[in-house]
Amino acid sequence: MALIHKLLNGTYILRKCPKRSTSLHPFLGIHFADYCSSSLQKPVAAPGKASSQRKTEGGLQGHHQKEVALDITSPEEKPEVSFDKAIRDEMMDHFRRLKDEIVNHWIGPEGRPLHEVLLEQAKVVWQFRGKEDLDKWIVTSDKTIGGRSEVFLKMGKNNQSALLYGTLSSEAPQDGESSRSGYCAMISRVPRGAFERRLSYDWSHFNTLYLRVRGDGRPWMVNIREDTDIIQRKNQMYSYFMFTRGGPYWQEIKIPFSKFFFSNQGRIRDVQSQLLLDKISSIGFTLADKVDGPFFLEIDFIGVFTDPAHTEEFAYENSPEISPGLFK
Amino acid sequence: MSWVRAILLARSLSRGWGGIFGATLTGAPISEVPPQTPQSFHCGAATHNSELSLVPGPPEPQRKPIKALSPYEDLFRQAPGVERDKASFVRTVQNFGQHNVHKRGHVDFIYLALRKMREFGVERDLAVYNLLLDVFPKEVFRPRNIFQHIFVHYPRQQECGIAVLEQMENNGVMPDKETEFLLIQIFGRKSYPMLKFLRMKLWLPRFKNINPFPVPRDLPQDPVDLAKLGLRHMEPDLSAKVTVYQMPLSKDWTGALDPTQPHIVGIQSPNQQAALARHNPARPVFVEGPFSLWLRNKCVYYHILRADLLPPEEREVEEIPEEWNLYYPMQLDLEYARSGWDDYEFDIDEVEEGPVFAMCMAGAHDQATLAKWIQGLQETNPALAQIPVVFRLARSTGELLTSSPGLEEPARPPPPEGQEEEDTLQRQQQGQS
Repeated sequence: MALIHKLLNGTYILRKCPKRSTSLHPFLGIHFADYCSSSLQKPVAAPGKASSQRKTEGGLQGHHQKEVALDITSPEEKPEVSFDKAIRDEMMDHFRRLKDEIVNHWIGPEGRPLHEVLLEQAKVVWQFRGKEDLDKWIVTSDKTIGGRSEVFLKMGKNNQSALLYGTLSSEAPQDGESSRSGYCAMISRVPRGAFERRLSYDWSHFNTLYLRVRGDGRPWMVNIREDTDIIQRKNQMYSYFMFTRGGPYWQEIKIPFSKFFFSNQGRIRDVQSQLLLDKISSIGFTLADKVDGPFFLEIDFIGVFTDPAHTEEFAYENSPEISPGLFK
Repeated sequence: MSWVRAILLARSLSRGWGGIFGATLTGAPISEVPPQTPQSFHCGAATHNSELSLVPGPPEPQRKPIKALSPYEDLFRQAPGVERDKASFVRTVQNFGQHNVHKRGHVDFIYLALRKMREFGVERDLAVYNLLLDVFPKEVFRPRNIFQHIFVHYPRQQECGIAVLEQMENNGVMPDKETEFLLIQIFGRKSYPMLKFLRMKLWLPRFKNINPFPVPRDLPQDPVDLAKLGLRHMEPDLSAKVTVYQMPLSKDWTGALDPTQPHIVGIQSPNQQAALARHNPARPVFVEGPFSLWLRNKCVYYHILRADLLPPEEREVEEIPEEWNLYYPMQLDLEYARSGWDDYEFDIDEVEEGPVFAMCMAGAHDQATLAKWIQGLQETNPALAQIPVVFRLARSTGELLTSSPGLEEPARPPPPEGQEEEDTLQRQQQGQS
């Protein structure tokens, strides 16, 4: 509501001061209205310069001119806690993302030329070279149901890898309904587009998942979730196991997508079907091997590639005894 | 006359069932008789617990819940001299059938027996599971007409059967023909335990051998053997040699290992030996550790001897002249690619780390023990005498180390929360043998 009010004010102001330079943002605040009215009496030469009248507005305007990314303020300036500015920045960012998406659509899928996408055979999807890469992941543990496992994620040595570490505790929470407990998980955030639209990954050109990790000998589980709007499908995922060797050497794990089995609400289902790769929402790593103690997993990067030697489509057959309906 | 018998059996069983209800009503906490939600039926019913426990309350203070003993607890309490093992467990289970012919309260007893299996050490014994399934009265729970088929016939007993099979699955026990026959006899062919049995037969073999680095089920108890197993597990080079540098003093009447002489077992491959021989003595090598390695459910700690990565200008690529061997090429560059456009490389610089020269597992994690390891290494690597060795050890307690970020950060200056000791240079000039 406040935004619409400001919008209307802004357009009104724009009509009033035609001298305003086009680089200024069309969404102006109420304070800007006053600023503009005062500027009619005293024309300002370049709006980019910080004006002497209102230091705060000048600082804000200086921000706009710099076209700085959201939420990163230079260390010299004092961080301005202004609700209007935050909303303004957010809107600007979303519109910029929308513009990028529309422009990218003309270039090709995801902004890369078509020939590059079609011929690509190995793609790095997640890498861990900086703090912003860690923000793409969420870590959870059974603390949400009252257990005692802890898990943390941080950058590893020399900012070259990510370290997921913690303690697993399979002590069941005393809430009367859980008899087992003890899991930790690291799940990737769903990629978001303009206006927080949910996007998905398209890995249909690839057939194997590639992980470069260094573990401590514990068996992990890799879960892939598909992007769906159907509520009943929200708990469905495809999983497979990832066995770490332990030791100081980096381990390359290749898991073909045909090996992932289907599970719903944590149980393997009788009717198994292949993982379809065109709308992947997120990937996750879970540790729930019923052994209490500390653990760690160092991840270098996660990629997908095409293994030309792997021709299997799906590894699990359906059984006529368990699901006779499929074999009529 | 069989129907009279069936009615009598049913009456006594319902009385037994009332006994179970009585137990729950008298205030036995719910954890004693775990409520089996419809999830266990593999029906795909909605979860109950997801909605209820989304917002957990504040953690309760640590107090032991007052557990009322379940009715058959005293059956499992052994005489003071009797050890808890398979024989006594089997005896207890067989005694239950003898105490009441009509097997009153068998569901409760079976749940309790499942919980007690771990104490007696029989959780991976198929014969014991079959014996436990034998406790069920036969032929009573089989549905006989269409209505009994439609509705879940004897749901508590079916849940109990599923619980037995689920514990088998959790412990990796594969059911056999005897289990199948028992299940058919008890529950019938179309029952839920039978369905679970079919699923186990389908899925357990599929996942039995997927571990590319298998660890044996029964880990050796001797720490030296365990160390050898762990080192072989970690080292991908099969030609690596495992050497025991120091054996612990043999266990005498005290029965405990002497802490002043822990075991030291090391491993080194010929490639690593050659690399260490080529190493420039001006650059130090580091002993880092301890890092944890989990073998099934045992955690062992190891140390590594490694050097830092050479800066790119000092790296030398060993070139083999082409005419060295005329019979076959010394450098085979077989590419995976089918033609010029194939490119299976990832567009990222992999993490590069310095070379590892040797690994060891020791009973203690202090510098004195590791110094002995270095001395032992010097016998096979005489070049090590000239190279300075720096010890970068994290805080060591000897017990199971809690998760400390210090474990993976031996190269950093001590962070405020972890404590690390970094020793000064140690010149091993005196070549001790």
